[in-house]
Amino acid sequence: MSSDSQASEGEVYSLNMGPQHPSMHGVLRLLLDLRGEEVIRAKPVIGYSHRAHEKMAENRNTLQFLPNTSRVDYLSGMIYNLGYCQAIEKLLGIDVPERAIYIRVIVNELNRIASHLLWFGTFLLDLGGITPFLYSFDDREEILDILDQVTGSRLTYCYGRFGGVTWDVDETFLTRATAFLARIRERLHMYKQLVTDNVILRERCTGVGVVSEALAKSYGVTGPSLRASGVAYDVRKAEPYGGYDRFDFEVPVLHEGDTMARFHIRIREIEESCKIIEQAIEAIPEGEILPKKMPKRFKLPEGEYYFAVESARGHFGMYIVGDGSDIPVKLKLRTPSFSNLSAMPETLAGTMLADTIAIVGSIDVVMPEIDR
Amino acid sequence: MSDGLQALADLTSASEEMDYGKTGLHQRHTASLENVLKVGKTFLDEGYILEMLTCQDLREKEEVMRLCYTFNSLDAVDRHLVHVDIAGGLASEQFEAPTMSNLTGGANWQEREVFEMYGVTFTGHNELERLLLPEDADFFPLRKDFGRIEDADE
Repeated sequence: MSSDSQASEGEVYSLNMGPQHPSMHGVLRLLLDLRGEEVIRAKPVIGYSHRAHEKMAENRNTLQFLPNTSRVDYLSGMIYNLGYCQAIEKLLGIDVPERAIYIRVIVNELNRIASHLLWFGTFLLDLGGITPFLYSFDDREEILDILDQVTGSRLTYCYGRFGGVTWDVDETFLTRATAFLARIRERLHMYKQLVTDNVILRERCTGVGVVSEALAKSYGVTGPSLRASGVAYDVRKAEPYGGYDRFDFEVPVLHEGDTMARFHIRIREIEESCKIIEQAIEAIPEGEILPKKMPKRFKLPEGEYYFAVESARGHFGMYIVGDGSDIPVKLKLRTPSFSNLSAMPETLAGTMLADTIAIVGSIDVVMPEIDR
Repeated sequence: MSDGLQALADLTSASEEMDYGKTGLHQRHTASLENVLKVGKTFLDEGYILEMLTCQDLREKEEVMRLCYTFNSLDAVDRHLVHVDIAGGLASEQFEAPTMSNLTGGANWQEREVFEMYGVTFTGHNELERLLLPEDADFFPLRKDFGRIEDADE
């Protein structure tokens, strides 16, 4: 074909993808330089949903910032919300009651599964498979209902309080969560047959978009994307917080670093999260959900602090500078997708245009979390 | 501290042990602008990653813009905070630091963010442009004299 031979001779053209594009997650915009269908250069353009969360943090006191946290990453809002609570508790030396620790672990892991399920559906939708999307959203809807019942919100939870959680959970919640575990395990079996073992998916993903261990480390890639590149790093294990050291779970690791590996890791993480929830439901004690005595104002002691939690996408770090008042001098939100996406230009260079969709989908970016 | 990090003693001043349980940090160092790349290289050669780069506007009290790097090991948590002070009071507009983006890719975007939020120029950076803010933004919102967000609207 004449047009092909012309292109292969080196005519480079640019293609703009996004910010409004069906397979770009949220408002990601990619500027691609292409030769034929080969990507020569990929440049992510971000910032479309920048809401100045770090600036807001400097304008309001620690408690007033609490509702902001789940808006940073609306797909794992619970993890961000409770992560921020845990940072403030560590800073002020507040002890969390036992029951609240277990409730937090259960809702955190439910939120992680919901986030992975959304990724599962949309990733396959990007690749042209509409059916799994309908199933996974059905499953995710069940989690949102369960969390809605106890928190009152579907996505942007503000369930955490410094020292515990807002409302206690009841038997219905625990029963529904247990029932969900049984349901999702059955579904995972179906997903394996329907999706994971599907030869079209495997052909599409295996060996595509390889992120080497060195590249991942260089860009600070974390979360499932890092664990697919052979590094067993999970904040829940590396720096146990919020009682995670009490639970028996594994950190799945694969060494291929390709899109298929990232796919497998997330599916296995859903299984591990199920194990954690099961143990937590088993062992949840009766008791208070908030400490009896609490300070009226949450004044940050003078100094610098860094606390991290494992979100559904990786290492979420908070660098806090306090000066003795209850308004932070500085609150830096180190979000995982920001670093994960920053590795994309190097990963995408030299791949095919069609693979770009698969690769960007496989690192599971959430734009509001990148733009903050 | 692992053996490979011994070189830090010559490159940094005022290194101190931190209480990890309370602060989440293991050590805090202060490095000069000349040494910052050597410090970075020491950590990266030991397999540490650049976990975070940000900045603090201390122009009013201490007459410096302070870059804050954290390096961490993915094998066993060992978090080092490195301060790099760039001298300049409230009247100064120019702040310059050498780029670390040639040593570790992760510095690329993080430096761009510090550039647009604080107005610190990283020399040697190959695409130092606005990252989150509009291309034509001519302000540095996280500088303390930028004021509160409500004030900016007036």
